[in-house]
Order: sequence, then C-alpha cells, then structure tokens
Amino acid sequence: MPTEGLSRRLLFGRAAAVSAGLAVGAPLAEPTTETADAATIAPQDAGTVSISCTVNGKTKTLTADARVTLLDALRERWALTSTKKGCDRGQCGACTVLVDGRRVLSCLTLAATVNGHEVTTTGGLASGSTLSPVQQAFIDNDAMQCGFCTSGQIMSAVALIQEGHAGSEAEIREWMSGNLCRCGCYSNIVDAVTQAAAAQGSA
Amino acid sequence: MSTSPIGSSTSRVDGVLKVTGGAKYAADNMLTNMAYGYLVTSTVGKGTISAMTTSGALASPGVLAVYTPFNPLKLYAYGGDENDEFTPPLQDKNVRYRGQVIGMVVAETFEQARDAAALVTATYSTQTPVTAMAKSASGSGTVSEVYNTSIVHHHAMEPHATVASWSGTHLTIYTATQGTPLVVSRLSHALGVSSANIHVVNPYVGGAFGGKWGNWAHTPLTAAAAQALGRPVKTVLTREQVFTVVGHRPNTSQTVSLTANSSGTISALKHIATVSKSNSSNFTENPASVSKSTYAAGSISTAQTPVSMDIPATTIMRAPGEANGSFALESAIDELAVALNMDPLALRQKNYAKTVPGGSTPWSSKHLAECYTTGAGAFGWSQRSAKPGQVTNGDWLVGLGMATAAYPAGRSASTLMVRLQNDGTAVVSGTGSDAGTGQATVFAILGAAALGIPVAQVSAELGDSTLPTAANAGGSGSTSSNGTAVNVAAQAAISALIQLAISNTSSPFHGKSASSVTYKNGNLTSGSTTISFGALLTKINVAGVQATGTSAKNTTSGYGFMSFGAIFCEVQVNKWTAEPRVTRLLAVMDAGTIVDAKTARSQIMGGMIMGIGQALLEGTILESDGRFANANLASYLVPVNADLPHIDVTFLNYPDTILNPIGMRGIGELGIVGAAGAVANAIYNATGKRVRDLPITLDKLL
Amino acid sequence: MQGFDYTAATTVTQAVGAAGTGSAYLAGGTTLVDLMKLDVMGPSTVIDINALPLTAVTTDSAGLHIGALARMSDVAANTQVTSAFPVLSQALLASASPQIRNMASIGGNLLQRTRCDYFRDVTVSCNKRSPGSGCPAQTGANRGHAILGTSTSCAATHPSDLAVALTALGASVQLQSGSGTRQVALSDFYVEPGTTPNVENTLQAGELITGVLVPPLPWATNSSYLKIRDRQSYEFALSSAAIAVEMSGSTITAARVAVGGVGTVPWRLPAVEAALQGQTATVANFTTAAAKAVTGAKTLADNAFKVTLVQRAIIRALSELLGVS
Repeated sequence: MPTEGLSRRLLFGRAAAVSAGLAVGAPLAEPTTETADAATIAPQDAGTVSISCTVNGKTKTLTADARVTLLDALRERWALTSTKKGCDRGQCGACTVLVDGRRVLSCLTLAATVNGHEVTTTGGLASGSTLSPVQQAFIDNDAMQCGFCTSGQIMSAVALIQEGHAGSEAEIREWMSGNLCRCGCYSNIVDAVTQAAAAQGSA
Repeated sequence: MSTSPIGSSTSRVDGVLKVTGGAKYAADNMLTNMAYGYLVTSTVGKGTISAMTTSGALASPGVLAVYTPFNPLKLYAYGGDENDEFTPPLQDKNVRYRGQVIGMVVAETFEQARDAAALVTATYSTQTPVTAMAKSASGSGTVSEVYNTSIVHHHAMEPHATVASWSGTHLTIYTATQGTPLVVSRLSHALGVSSANIHVVNPYVGGAFGGKWGNWAHTPLTAAAAQALGRPVKTVLTREQVFTVVGHRPNTSQTVSLTANSSGTISALKHIATVSKSNSSNFTENPASVSKSTYAAGSISTAQTPVSMDIPATTIMRAPGEANGSFALESAIDELAVALNMDPLALRQKNYAKTVPGGSTPWSSKHLAECYTTGAGAFGWSQRSAKPGQVTNGDWLVGLGMATAAYPAGRSASTLMVRLQNDGTAVVSGTGSDAGTGQATVFAILGAAALGIPVAQVSAELGDSTLPTAANAGGSGSTSSNGTAVNVAAQAAISALIQLAISNTSSPFHGKSASSVTYKNGNLTSGSTTISFGALLTKINVAGVQATGTSAKNTTSGYGFMSFGAIFCEVQVNKWTAEPRVTRLLAVMDAGTIVDAKTARSQIMGGMIMGIGQALLEGTILESDGRFANANLASYLVPVNADLPHIDVTFLNYPDTILNPIGMRGIGELGIVGAAGAVANAIYNATGKRVRDLPITLDKLL
Repeated sequence: MQGFDYTAATTVTQAVGAAGTGSAYLAGGTTLVDLMKLDVMGPSTVIDINALPLTAVTTDSAGLHIGALARMSDVAANTQVTSAFPVLSQALLASASPQIRNMASIGGNLLQRTRCDYFRDVTVSCNKRSPGSGCPAQTGANRGHAILGTSTSCAATHPSDLAVALTALGASVQLQSGSGTRQVALSDFYVEPGTTPNVENTLQAGELITGVLVPPLPWATNSSYLKIRDRQSYEFALSSAAIAVEMSGSTITAARVAVGGVGTVPWRLPAVEAALQGQTATVANFTTAAAKAVTGAKTLADNAFKVTLVQRAIIRALSELLGVS
C-alpha cells in the first residue's frame, strides 16, 4: 500500500509556533495543517548577522546567517574545537562555555546573542604551558577517560568553584550533574573539583 | 631506573591534550574548502522507497548535492564480518528499519546541509515491520525465573563523525573507530579502492564501548561524496541518528533454572536466552554463555534463540552477552540463596568453579575466592540483614547485594614499533585505539619498563593506519595483545641499536661483537665504556633507530583464561516514592597484572557505572512501527554525577603469566559484568521486591 | 531550522512593536533554539529581548516581583526568594542543569514547551504541533505522560517546576503588548488541552511576559518542593509536589499544594488543601488528604503508577517539611 512519507516540513506547518514558545508572545499565523508539498518550498536564506565578541581574550568577528549557534561559530567558523558537540540539544553539557563568566550551553546559544560579550572556553584556561588548577586536578585525579566530555566538565568545574558550590562531595555531584560522562569518571571528577577548590582556597 | 613503572599510578599521558582541548577528535578536523554532509533517514519501519523529492533541498542556498537511492553514490558490497550492517547505504530502495540512511545532503555550511535535509521527502510502499520480542519460556528447578533486559545504546559522548579528503586517488579519512584497520578494510571494499590508498587517522576517540567497531553508513558515504565533489566533506551524526544509524545492544528474555540441594550445591544450571537480532546486521548476542564459566554445577546447559527483527543494527556493546547474561544468572543465584535460606556470597563460594566448569581444565590464574573475601570484608558484608526490608536510614530502605564478575581473557596478534631517538626519548607506535581506555598510557609505561627509562621519556602513537598493525580495541584484549608486543618491539629496537653501535664507524663500540655490548636502563655498555642511547645516536649523527616486533595470537591450550571479580553494592529505596539510589559500590578485581593502577581503576568504575545505568535507568523503547520512542539524551537516561556514590576499586594484581609474560589481562568489560545483578540483588534486600525486568525504575517498586 | 531574521530590542516598547506574524521573542533560548533546530518551531523573525530591563527581583506590599528576564539561577539564589518562598528556590534548583538555569529566563521557563517525545519529533503526528494530526501518545510510549487534565487529543505534561510552585502560591504573570498591560493569574493563564492542545495559554498575539507577581503569604517561609524522577538530577519530573503549610502547634491551619509531572498544566489541589486544613500533622492525615489529589485521574497504559506516585510525593513532601514520620 503506497503511503506518503512524512515530511518534517509537512508536519511542522505553522501550527507549532501558535501557542508560543520560550518567551514567545508574538502574533503568529492561525493554526493550519499545511498540506502543500513543502519540499518544493526552498527556505529563505537566513537573515545575516555580524557579531564581534571576545573569545579567550581575543576579538573574534563573524558575519554569518543567524542560524549559527555559538557552538558552531566556535568550532566551524573559528576552528576553536576545544568545545565539543555531544548532543546539540542541551542534554549533555559537552558544549559548556563561560559567557561573561557564567557557564552556559553554547549549543543553545545563538551566536548573535553573544555580540559584545566575553566567551571563555577550555582552550583559554591555561597560561602558556601552565595549566589552570582545575585542569591540573583533572589530570591528577584521572577525571577523564575518552576526554570528549572533559572540556565541558572543566568549564562547569571552573564555574562551580566560582559559584561557591564546592562545599561538599554531595554538593559537587549535584552541581556537576549537567555534564554527562559516559566513560563514568564521576567519582574522579568530584575528587578533581575538590582538589582544585582547595587549591583556590574556596573549598 | 630500578623500579618498574608497571603497576604504578601514572597519570594519563594524553591528559594535557585532553584538559586543554588540544586532543583532536574526528570532527575537530577543519580542512580547507570543507563541505558538510547531513544524513536523511527513513521514517517508516519497513518497505521500499517509491520516490523521493529533493528539489527543495537542491534549490536551497549552499547545497552542493543531494544523494539518494535514486541518485546514489556508488558503493560496492561490504566485505567481511565487522559488526556493522550487511548493506551499504543508498544502493537499493529497501527500507530495512526506521532511521536507516536514505539520503545525504552536502552543503557549504552545516546549517545549510541540516536545513536542506529537512526538505527531502520520501514516498514509501510500506510493509509491517517485525518488532515484537518473544519472552523466554518458563523452566523448572529449585528456582526458575524469566529475566528481561532492554535495548540499550552505547552513547559514547562523541557522536560518530567522519571527515574525508581525497588527493587524487588517495583518501585520507578522519573517523571515530576502535581500530583504523577496521576502516581501511571496509572502505577498501565499499569504495573499490586499494587499501594502500586509504589512510585512516584517529588518534583520539571520544568513547566507543563497541559502538565504533563498525564503520556505519556515514563513513563510506562521506568518503564517496568527498570524491564525487572533489573537496573534503565532514559528516557528524546527530544524537538522534546515533540511535539508529549505528548499532545497539539487543534486548533479551532469559530463563535461568537452578536445581540445588539444601546445602546449596547446584546440580543443574540451565540458561536459555531469547535475544533480538537485527535483520540488517550480522551480530547475535549470546547472553547464556556467561553461565558456562561462572559457577561449578553438576550439569550446565545453555541455549539461545535469536528473534529476527526489522530494527537498526544489533552489535557488540561492552561485555556483549555477559552484561545481559550475568544480570539473569546473578539474580537467579540470589533467588536460590533466598530459597535455600543461605547467604548469597556463601552460595557462590559453595559453587566455586575451581576448574573450568564441565571438566578438569585448570584456570590460567584465578583468585576469585580472594575477591569474595577481600570485598566482603571491606564492604561489611557481614552486616547484611538476611531478611529483606529490615534496614532503614530515615525514610529510605537500605539493602546490600553482590554479584560475580567474569569475562574471558585473550591475546591476539599485534605488531608494534619502538623507536629510540637521539634526544633520549622513545616512541611506541601501532594502530591500536585509545577510546579512553588508557591504552596510550599503557604503551608508554610498558615501553619505559622494557627500555628501563622513565615513563616521561616515552610517548605513544596510536590511531593511524600507516603504523604497524596492532590489536583493535575490543574484547578486553588490547593490553594483553599490544602490551606483549611492546616488549618484543623494544627488544628488537635494542638489537637494532646495538647493531648500529657496532657497525657505525663513529661509534665508540665500532668493531665490537654484538654480544659484548649490553643494554640496560637506556645505556649501552661494553667494557668500561657506557653511553646513553641518546648520546650515542647524537654522536653518530643518527636521528633514531627503530624496529617492529610482533606478538602472536595466544595458542596456549589446556587452560581457561578469564578475569574475575566481586562487586558489592548498597542501594537505598525511598519508602514513599520508591526511587532506587546506589549509595555504596565496591569492586575487587582479579584481572592479572595491572599496568597502570590509575587508568585501570577508572575503567573498572566506568564499567560499573554503565552497569548501573543498565540496571536502573537505560532502556530504548521500541514501538511496534519500529520507531525508538525515546531517542534522545533527555529521555534515554544515562547516569549523571549525582546518581553515583564514591566507588572503591581494588585490584589483586596476580600476574597471569600463562597468558603473556607480564601477566596482563583486559579490564574494559569486566566492570559491567555483574554490576546490574548486584544492584538488583541489593534492591531485593532493601525492599523484598524481586524485579526481573531492566531497568528497575521506581514504578516497579512502588 | 528555518531561516529567520534576527533583531535585538532594548526596550519593552521596541520589542512588542517589533512583534508581528511569525515572530518569536528570544530570551535564554533553551526552549526556542532547541525547538527551532528540531523544526518544531519556526519563527520567521526572532526578537532578542535579553537587553530589556526586566531582570529585577523586588518586594513590596503587593508581594514579590520577579522580572521576566531574571535568570533561573539568580532567582533561585535571591535572598528575598530563599527567605520568603523556599518552595520557589527549591523548584528552580530542581530544574534542568546549572548551565541551563544560568541561561533560562523566568518568563521563558513559564512558556517552555512539553517534553513529550512525539511533540518533539516532526516525523510523527502530534495534535499540539500539528492540530488534527493525532496523538500517538494515547497508545504509544506514555510512561511520562499526564494523568490529570488530559484529553483524547493530548496527554502531554507541562514541564515547568517553577510554574507548579508559583501556582501553589497563587502567582500572576504581568503581560504587555502594543495595546497595553494586564495581569493574569497563572491559574487562568494555562489552558488544558481539550480538543485544541495547540493552545497552551491565554497569551495574546504579540504579548510579552514582563514579570511575575507572587502575592504575600507569610507562612510560605514554611514551604518546599519535592521532585521525583528516575535520575537523581537533570531530568524532568515524574511527579513533583509544591507545598506550603501554616501550622499552629501540631495543627495545620492552612496549606497550599500543587503538583507537577502529572498534569497537562501546573495542577493546584484545593481539595487536598481543604482536607489538610484543621488536621493534625500526621502521616495518616497526609495520606487521607493526598488521596484527593487524583480525583478524575485518567491513566494510559504505562503511566498508571503516577496515581500512586503523586500521592506519595505529597505525603513525603509534607512529612519531610513538617518533620513527621
């Protein structure tokens, strides 16, 4: 029995936006079930944005379409690949960076929104060949195996210590829980954060 | 150097690169003029594709090509059995499962490729996919129960990624793999290219667990697209695609029947498994095999029945067979202990397999008895209440459980190269893969031990197909295989160094006999002359001397080769809302000589944590139409940091010198074997509820 | 993701003035950017409102005012919140991850979309996303779905923990559009799915949430939020309970109870509140009251356990808050 395959666009329609999403209160099209052959509709090329921000102390500029996330700007435009894409959905924490000193997920951050802001990645933590205390603690405690989640873990750990959440092992565990590690280094990550916090006098 | 670094606690040699973000994973390669590939996958579970509409995608900005079965990239039949799919993508119009690759869009940017791919539609002639899993039939015995496990996914944090670049007829490919030779071999078949023209580069692998043994559809497609377009192409799977484009661990239904007398002696052990198997891949899991080697029993019978289904590939995943099988076996042993009113540890000790079960074949090295007693002492097993539901911590019910871990050990062929350099350093190199296992660190430690120089002076090179062919990372065999080859290669390099020293006219040893020159701790000595190899090479103006060494596959017969361990677990279950939490975890492992105590401990912990995920959280839900219902990391739950307590790991460290001279066995899988069983048994002890279906979620305990 | 035009506003007037057909406001982006990538949402214009001066948290005689662009992490740590309304702080800290809490705004949190995996997958039907197309959850994987306020068109849960806590406290949202401002109680703001699950709230076209008002409730100092989930952290609720209790000796003189993870909207439980009022704080009385939580519950194949779980969550939350066991 021939059946029409489901097109992502066909089901998307305009209805999705009707009831408003995140901070959305905009007037939107009436709910309709789009039945036109969406495949024949080419997308509008996205509006272009020009941004300038600081990444690890250096000015970075970008003119690109507005769809570009901070994560894809870092990795694919600026070749700053220390920040990793693990899920692209805000579900794993591998892409954690600091924006103006606060840890955020770069995969859910549109690059356009960091215009004029300061971004820090794992690639920017060491001073020359001197590792930051968190980086050194991760090595000392073997707080990594494959290393893929490590950049995000380290950025979360740096922020966690600054936030003052390294008070106990239980507190560290909870405040590191936005960063998945499939190799299972969690115990060692807790030990590393504890060591680094102590080294920075904030444990 | 007087003390051997073997068994020391050495920090990971690639640690600095990993903590600075400098370790380059496949998707981190940024090539000039690189385009981006994005996969299109099927939205029905079975059928044929009658038409595809690509006009919208082709008209989208930046799109370079749209490949489909109607406009395919030529790929040849796959050769060989590599735990991958049978069929290369786009070469036919059949849909074998939902989420199968049916197209690829290539565009100038990632965003353009992704968003054009969303415009590709397919019309299908659909058939009803087979997706129903059969339950195992009930059996009989002192205890006999059916245990069910869920489909689970590896979900290494690095999604599968491939960057391909051609220079004339020569392909360079960066792709996440457990062994670069696996990629060369498969791509040689699929692309119809001589393996000599394929260079695979993958020094860093962001986790694998079996899921990167196969190449999967995106790899040949990306290579073929790069060739067709004449420019490099990068394709990275989305996390959703990682659920279907690459393989998974099958679900199982297992009946374990144990017959025992009142003193606990097991006279019959029967383990019958039903396992799902994809019609698209060659891998069939054998969960019952674990019952052939874990306990002594008067008679042991095992069998398995695969259920062929129209689902994404089933493939190897960490302890394939054992992780599922040991949950059933270790739960059944615990149930037998309850039935006989025995301590479950005592029951295991009673049925200790002093020889390989079913005969008198000795073990090469087995110290499981010590794992039991050491673990029980350290964990406080004697404090366990035999009666369940007796111990509380406020509103939490507390229970203790344990299980046996057992996993086969082996040694495959491996060739490595050792190079001695004029700066006094050495390099150990081979195709082996370090997906977080610590293999690079093991290379450095064993190289240092063989050469008698500090670990810091030895570096490791892995993950490049042009290096000597080492063992791939799988089956807990890397260290046993490659580690043995390090010594052979080091001795060969030393011989080559001595040959050079006596033949080079500028050498202080020129003209001496080889037997008169000795090598020790980085120095050559003959008579009263001693010089370090670095100084010698500098003096004779030679940059380095290198040699390869091969260690053959293990052919020693007449022994059973296995690693063993005991896992102890405490759980707490809330008396109101029933969520189970692991609050203590301890393992004592008998895994031969441990080369690096630090990275080995991490690997065992990781295995146990994956087992806890299997026990409490993980389960891919297969719908009747072949769709995975929870195919994302917010709905497919892997453990987070707060799910785990501090974990205690002890290695007994008895060398298994029958397996190899240093006595090393593998540890990649051992930690997961038994972990789920230990958790399930602890939950029973806490609550009196026996849950035989994984994952054990709170709804099963309310 | 569909292409879109990006524009940034610096004042509320500018933002609401820029709103038009197919536009969406962007704050933290943790829902919008996510759903745009999945093609579940596809605004043609994205209005970045992050620069609007709506981040203040203040207290006056009308109650606690939370600016719509205050971030979840900042509100959770705010001493006006932690001292007067612990339930709010706890609900925020039980949400998402530290990174997401740093990004996500209070207004955005209240408008986040359901986590139903059918809603989030455009290759399957969903009445909320594509009205009239069907609801696979009715017969599909529905362990996480709602048991209260459902219809045959939709059983998707509302995902916000904060909204549950605010609902217990009788909070309102303050809204602004080109035609003026208004204030709507959260109990009137969220709309059960009925036959139109695409309509989730009473927000008008172009309207922007500018703030939240939590009316004074002195005994809310004695409040808490309990969230039950499979994973210890970083997961949406299977069930949750927001409670505030006024005590006189060992007698409950007033109570507020709302639950999450079980309703299609944040679910206040006046019957449970009434049943607690005047009762001695005992587990038996908690149990009797909690039984009234599930009146009218409709279960699907895999979520019947929530009928028990939500009652247990209420009992446990009360027991822990009041130190009764």
